Amino acid sequence: MNITQPQNYVSLLLLLLMLVFPVVAGSPFVYHIFILVFSYAALASAWNVVGGFAGQLSLGHAVYYGVGSYTATLLMINFGISPWIGMVAGALLASVISVFVSWPCFRLRGPFFALASIAVLEVVRLLVINQHGLTGGSAGLAVPLQQGVEWMVFRERWPYLVISFGLLSAALFVSWKIKNSRLGYYLIAVREREDAALAVGVNAVRVKLAAVIISAFLTSTVGSFHAMYFTFIEPGAVFSLELSIQIAMFALIGGLGTISGPVIGTVLVLPLAELARGWLGDFADGFHGFVYGVVLVIVVLTIPRGLVGQFGARVGALINRLPGYKEPETVQPSTSTLTHVQSETLGQPILVAEHLHKYFGGVHATNDVSLTLKEGEIIGVIGPNGAGKTTVFNQLSGFLKPTSGSVRIRTSYGEWVTPKSPAEFAKAGIGRTFQIVQPFADLSVRENIMIGAFMNTDDHVEARAIAAEVAQLTDLTDQLDKVARDLTVGGMKRLEMARALATRPRILLLDEVLAGLNPSDITKAIEIIRRIRDTGVSILMIEHIMQATMSLSDHVAVINSGSLLIEGEPEKVVKDPQVIEAYLGKEYSHA
Amino acid sequence: MEIFLQLLINGLMLGGTFAIISIGLTLIFGIVRVVNFAHGEFLMIAMYGVYLMNLQFGLHPYVAMLPMFFLMFALGAVMQRYIIQPLLSASDEIQIFATVGVSTALMNAGLMVFGADVYSVDMSSAVVGTGMTSIGSLTINNGQLMTFIVSILLIGALDWFLKYTFLGRAIRATAQHRDAALLMGVDVKKIYIIAFGLGAGCLGLAGGLMAPQYPVFPTVGTFFVLTAFIIVVLGGLGSLHGAFLGALIIGVVDSLAGYYIAPDLKEVVYFSIFIAILIFRPTGLFGAGRGSE
Repeated sequence: MNITQPQNYVSLLLLLLMLVFPVVAGSPFVYHIFILVFSYAALASAWNVVGGFAGQLSLGHAVYYGVGSYTATLLMINFGISPWIGMVAGALLASVISVFVSWPCFRLRGPFFALASIAVLEVVRLLVINQHGLTGGSAGLAVPLQQGVEWMVFRERWPYLVISFGLLSAALFVSWKIKNSRLGYYLIAVREREDAALAVGVNAVRVKLAAVIISAFLTSTVGSFHAMYFTFIEPGAVFSLELSIQIAMFALIGGLGTISGPVIGTVLVLPLAELARGWLGDFADGFHGFVYGVVLVIVVLTIPRGLVGQFGARVGALINRLPGYKEPETVQPSTSTLTHVQSETLGQPILVAEHLHKYFGGVHATNDVSLTLKEGEIIGVIGPNGAGKTTVFNQLSGFLKPTSGSVRIRTSYGEWVTPKSPAEFAKAGIGRTFQIVQPFADLSVRENIMIGAFMNTDDHVEARAIAAEVAQLTDLTDQLDKVARDLTVGGMKRLEMARALATRPRILLLDEVLAGLNPSDITKAIEIIRRIRDTGVSILMIEHIMQATMSLSDHVAVINSGSLLIEGEPEKVVKDPQVIEAYLGKEYSHA
Repeated sequence: MEIFLQLLINGLMLGGTFAIISIGLTLIFGIVRVVNFAHGEFLMIAMYGVYLMNLQFGLHPYVAMLPMFFLMFALGAVMQRYIIQPLLSASDEIQIFATVGVSTALMNAGLMVFGADVYSVDMSSAVVGTGMTSIGSLTINNGQLMTFIVSILLIGALDWFLKYTFLGRAIRATAQHRDAALLMGVDVKKIYIIAFGLGAGCLGLAGGLMAPQYPVFPTVGTFFVLTAFIIVVLGGLGSLHGAFLGALIIGVVDSLAGYYIAPDLKEVVYFSIFIAILIFRPTGLFGAGRGSE
């Protein structure tokens, strides 16, 4: 981290100020509020790794909090083990549990993931109550009051403040690390468009698991700390839906998927509710919850992206006027990635599909299709709409598993492999585009391409350099800082190609990249495809624009009603009576 | 065997209560495609409403549930118009947070207004909805029987309404494809308001039917809503008949597991069923739902 950048030093100063304020104020109540703010901000930041970065809306995070609380307390009561060790043990246990809980639930979307996470929370809470011999049941457990650093129990308030600040710092550091790493980009990619992420080699399950494990670990440490701070735990309070909702809410109010958002959300809302509780006494019984609910609804209706999402850019620009601001350095495009290599295996098969069959229920969507793509070659795939071209593509890139038949790829080491998942296909050297473009809409063009580049490097700077190089090849250089959703249709199609190219594919599957383009864009794109081929990439392209297919393809394959009608040189294929019949009907076959 | 039969009857009767709560939830999801996390708090409001009407005007809960239907309809319509409608094209998370926010606010508002005390409708002078009916050695709670019968009638009525009335057809069209319905001249926003109102209105009936057996307290919604979610997912989201069958299944599971396993573990049993269904059969047991993937 560069400390002379205004955004960085301002953030650090504000954090330190928050630490100093209660010490100067000195009142126990202020201490208490800040200890709560720090620890809840840590919880919200930890939740944000899953709920924000990974976009998995968990409303059961109290499970991990509770595991931390109970592990530390039980180890202390039964074995006299220091809660510092208990904290680590609890965090490890929570991480393991998080894998078992989340893995089966990843295929659930939106509300259903949330419901499943609530169900898991309920099950755990009921089981903890049920095992009263071990856990004290619903009555809960009191933490033995042994004072001292090793027991995490103190007479004064300031050590608690320091510990909670430490937990918050750890959570923030981890968030910051994730956000600026390959993992952070991958999480956003999986959240925004899982298919597009798979196509550039992202193992979606592994990435989401990483987020869940990190989040559970951090959440659990706060649970252990809270047990020692409150010196009492009970299932109703630690395994509570209310707590889960609260921490998710703080993150949302501040801004999902941002680093500072969860902290800002907590700082603004938590003291408000706590103060109300203090002032209003008994009446406040439901009042702070009521405030939480109302604030949540208002935020969702007015600034759904949260405070940081809504105002962050503007505030950031203001802060950057402070002394010390430096523009991010421009990265020179790399030249190594796509340079033409004189391959010795040019002209030999690189992708072989044999006897592919695919059934969707009763529909025979792919009927005995065999294809061989040779290195350095362009094959154009044509056929009427609904003929099953994209279905074949999906089998060649791992998005569909053929009912029978095989797809083999020759790797750069010369071995033949049959990958099993889209990500493995990508790693074996297949890049693909989607007929319906799938940009990561809220990211910049540069970031979109970088996600492709991360397949071969985990270094930020290198990924930027590859992005710059690929952008040159695809005429996107002057659009690099544009947000992807603002691109024209032609730009989006080129972005599809660019992102695939950034993975350094040896085989590129292009699915109608010219459809819907205007004539000048088509000329541009044809030129680009030719350039790509000249870098040594073999290309299989589905295309309806005959001008392009005829001028680019070495071979043309015609697919009709799921089966391969004919394959051969372009001139021969278009004159074939069967092909004419497929497109125009029988009466034209003699025309 | 006798115990088993009695447990089975208890389970089915409990299922009737679960059904009347779940119908509205599945209706709203099936049409508006929003999972309403505030459903339980709507139930709480209906129960307090029935309690107050009984206290103030001496209305029998079965009478009070009729005005309550319309009040709840209005509440649902307002929620749809001012909270859900602006968020229809927002992402799932935002919609969830909105209904969760409403749920939190309403539950705590209940706590502020009524306190944490438990209130029951005074049924001591009522004739209908109390007591037991005996068939041989088996007994049935009259109030629960009434709930069971009404839930069947309600499903029948909704079914008829959706299939054979003009408005019902428009609702089904909207449920199947929002944009296509819009193109056919259906006022989709109005349909959603009506659908949400109907779903909430069902809870008005539930509030009245449950009053003889269940007390009301601020968190009563949470107590029932998780079960309702399980039932609705089990029966296939959006399916009325599925919800009814799901309710009977969970009712019986509740009753049997409470006796044969342990009273405090019966929820563990049906939450586990819930998680398994979500993972392995996301379209519900009968494959009638919209799926959770």
